[in-house]
Amino acid sequence: MKNKFISHPFFLVVLSVFLCASSFAQKAKKDKVRLKAEYVKIINSEIYFDLKATAKVDGQNINVSNIDLTLYNTIGDEQIELGKTKTDMNGESRFTLKDLNVIKPDSTNIYNIEISFNGNDAFSKASKSMSFKDANIDAKLITKDSINYIMATLKETSTDSVVSDAILKVQVQRLFRPLGVGPEFNSTDENGTIVVPIKDEIPGVDGNLTFEVVLKDSDDYGTVKALVNAPIGIPITDESTFDERTMWSPRSKTPLFLLIFPNLLILGIWGIIIYLILNLVKLKKS
Amino acid sequence: MDVSDKLINDLAPKKFGKKGVIWTTFLIIVSIAGIIAYVDQVIKGQIVTNMNDYALWGIYISNFVFFVATSFVSTITVAVLRLTKNTWRTPIVRIAEIISVATIIMAGLTIMIDMGRPDRLMNLFVHGRMQSPIIWDVIIIPTFMVISLLLLYYPLLPDFALLKKYFKDKNEKLSKWYGKLSLNWTGSNAQKKIHLNSIQLISILIIPAGFMLQTVDAWLFSTLFRVGWDSTNMGAYFISGATVAGIGALVAVVYIVRRAYHLENYITEFHFDKLGKFLALACLIYLYFNINEYLVPEFTSKKEEVTHMNVLVSGEYAPLFWFVIIGGLILPIIALFFKKGRKPLPIFLIGLLVVVGSWWKRYLIVTPTLLHPFLPIQGVPESWHHYFPSFHEWIITFATLAMCLLIITLLIRYLPIIPIQRTADEQEELESNKKTKS
Repeated sequence: MKNKFISHPFFLVVLSVFLCASSFAQKAKKDKVRLKAEYVKIINSEIYFDLKATAKVDGQNINVSNIDLTLYNTIGDEQIELGKTKTDMNGESRFTLKDLNVIKPDSTNIYNIEISFNGNDAFSKASKSMSFKDANIDAKLITKDSINYIMATLKETSTDSVVSDAILKVQVQRLFRPLGVGPEFNSTDENGTIVVPIKDEIPGVDGNLTFEVVLKDSDDYGTVKALVNAPIGIPITDESTFDERTMWSPRSKTPLFLLIFPNLLILGIWGIIIYLILNLVKLKKS
Repeated sequence: MDVSDKLINDLAPKKFGKKGVIWTTFLIIVSIAGIIAYVDQVIKGQIVTNMNDYALWGIYISNFVFFVATSFVSTITVAVLRLTKNTWRTPIVRIAEIISVATIIMAGLTIMIDMGRPDRLMNLFVHGRMQSPIIWDVIIIPTFMVISLLLLYYPLLPDFALLKKYFKDKNEKLSKWYGKLSLNWTGSNAQKKIHLNSIQLISILIIPAGFMLQTVDAWLFSTLFRVGWDSTNMGAYFISGATVAGIGALVAVVYIVRRAYHLENYITEFHFDKLGKFLALACLIYLYFNINEYLVPEFTSKKEEVTHMNVLVSGEYAPLFWFVIIGGLILPIIALFFKKGRKPLPIFLIGLLVVVGSWWKRYLIVTPTLLHPFLPIQGVPESWHHYFPSFHEWIITFATLAMCLLIITLLIRYLPIIPIQRTADEQEELESNKKTKS
């Protein structure tokens, strides 16, 4: 009975059509790209968006490399293209703005940015929207009773009002990553200000330290960072031989003895070789 | 037939017999196989080799070091024996010069074979840093090549003139070639003066050049902070090793040439006896350096040194290590202490053993050190801790050895193996001395 049913021509046609269709459908199914975006403003320096594209493929999170992302500035119903960027091997990309005047806020002074991916053979369309207000951190070094402090005030630019109860982090720049200074969380007071004492024994090249006051990943303002240069560190001597003539320098910085002595040897030996070759010419002529 | 006619008849280049043709054909076939393998390596990249992130120098560099070492033979036998006025050298110097030219040419080629991108060879010259021993090697190898060619060519001039006359009726084309190569040599006083001065100058020049070549080769290793290489002993160690490899190769080639061309009247047991003593001395000095190289690290027992020594003495490389030390040095020394050991056949076998030992010695210098890096990478494949050359590497290496032997064979075919003019002059001098005494 079963065999009869399976061998029925109509059943076979329907089965094969179904199988083909489902296999095409499986092939046509594209993976979704997840976009992450972070707005970063460094006071008196650069402003950029850090973008990252990931996807879940076969149950595993992967970085989506080499895809084009387009950034738009949304003002009401209007969308202005800011530019395009491509993700690197880690699925990351940085889109730098010349300055904040390049983009425009809406009527509520909120900047709206949309990051869009148009899709490709492997991944479907995706987009990510983000909104932020412009903020400023005014940071400086002050000294009271021989103790150094970093004082910083967070202000919303559009309203020129201070922002209280925001968490600011103070850190000092080091070779690989910044080192936290003072309490881990510093909440701004009603004046939008924090004051963090600095310990004396931080070493720096020629005593120079660079402090960072950071508002990290704020829902309203994104990441805002202010840098303060302060010559209050314990001076350390820079032992770098970067610009010196050493055995490990590039060829333009070869130690003089290695330029003079071997080249004299080479010239001497090749001088004799040329003399010997000339002697062959002399022999032929004599 | 007077003496000089007999000399030219005996010593003029001769056509190969059946064995010579088979030998040359064999060398050509092996060379072609190697060229094919090399082309494949260039197309596919060095993936065809068994070199990896640890063993980044393999059999090619071992082979290169062996060629460089063997090329030292001209410095030690020609120049040093000439300057110390050892007249017994006459029948063997040309063979030494030929070996030197062939090996230094192949050393230059072998280092290119090791390059992943040989098309970037010029970058070595354009972007080379004087601080790197690699660039010293790049400079000294062509320099030594030119000096070796001059050392071979200059003493040949009078012989070419003799051969021009000798082949005039027998082979006109060959005679023409010898005539061109003789540079119109007539043996005039002016020519003799320039000739003698030039040879004297090359004999002096090749000594520092040869020492530089071996030392630079040693410094390629000793300037790296690696176990087994990081030694101030290395320069002298390489020079003594090169002397052993060079004389070993010379003994082997001299024996074969003597038999093939029936030169028993010219290369006598006396010469083998002298060469045997020379080789024994070289082996003794090299053994002394080996004791220094291996005993001191064993004594100080730094962790990495102990690991390295264990691999050599009782580990993966122990059979090779003991073969090189016992077979390549101790046994030859013992055998050469006896007069019977310095007879032609025994010394030939000893020479072969020394050459094979010298080749594997270079393999032992290069490879085991690389398998134990100071900064090991976590989770590396087990295979990275071992290295054995791939099929491509073996074929290409055999081909370079075959090409070297082919150059020697072809030079022996077309050049007088024993200096004719010099032998005639020496015989004349001997006769006149006899007459004066009587």
